[in-house]
Amino acid sequence: MEQSSTSALLQGTVLDLASDVVSALRSGDHARAGGTLARDGAGGNIARAAVRVLGADTLLPTALLRVPPDPGRLAVFKDAVTAHPPRADAAPAVVWSHWAMARALRRLDEPLPGPLAGDGDTEPDAAWLEDAGWQSLTHQLAVLAPLALPGEECAVTRVARRRPVDVARGFVRAVRRRDWQQAAGAGRWLTLLDGVPDTLGLDTGLDFVRLMGGSDPRVALQLEAARLMPAGVLL
Amino acid sequence: MPSIEDALEEVTRTDIEIEAALDPAEPDGVFRDSRECTGLALQSGGGHLLLSPPTPRPKKG
Repeated sequence: MEQSSTSALLQGTVLDLASDVVSALRSGDHARAGGTLARDGAGGNIARAAVRVLGADTLLPTALLRVPPDPGRLAVFKDAVTAHPPRADAAPAVVWSHWAMARALRRLDEPLPGPLAGDGDTEPDAAWLEDAGWQSLTHQLAVLAPLALPGEECAVTRVARRRPVDVARGFVRAVRRRDWQQAAGAGRWLTLLDGVPDTLGLDTGLDFVRLMGGSDPRVALQLEAARLMPAGVLL
Repeated sequence: MPSIEDALEEVTRTDIEIEAALDPAEPDGVFRDSRECTGLALQSGGGHLLLSPPTPRPKKG
């Protein structure tokens, strides 16, 4: 199927944005993830959409390295939260992704923009994840990897904490399926969970994922997060 | 200058793209074979991750 120009542009911008975050995580310098995103015009629309897709991980250097966010990037982040709220019938992953972005702003003590200003920290429902099989659980957790942060407390992290062996099984499955993005996301979660079997060989597995899939910035982002996770301090 | 309809259509299309990216279906897997698993085991010097036999694939035909 032919890809629309919007889709191609959006995907490319997401990859560029992920690359910026990876650079910032590797260098420890938020300036590497600087405010190169447009805010106005068509470029601004794509930038906001790309930030919405990358989600709370756009501000990951701030969460893990305690560096202040670049003001330009923070402004686009707020715009993205406001411009792309989940629809009433949106899938749980879409709703949780938006919640994670709002949570990232709250963690920075940033006032929530526009219609979100009156919202509390009310969590979306996580029932769909409670009963998920281990394959689906791992897929969903990998999609929601921006929630895998030290000290994060929400319904999704509580489900993950209860099922370390299932996530470990899902990690191995993802590696064997060569689904590097899912493997990297699951690996990021596993660095946070207690009760992960030693026989998993997580470090070796993550090295292998880096070797095979690390050229994709979205994979590299998850791997950098996993690398920093044990030392990460949430603001 | 683009009309309001064009702008709305663009916004709608972008929202659909965003939702698709945020809630992707799991892609089809490409399974590893035993030789690669052995190579990884030798390379990693004792990792346990991929030492088990490969997942059976559906037989063709």
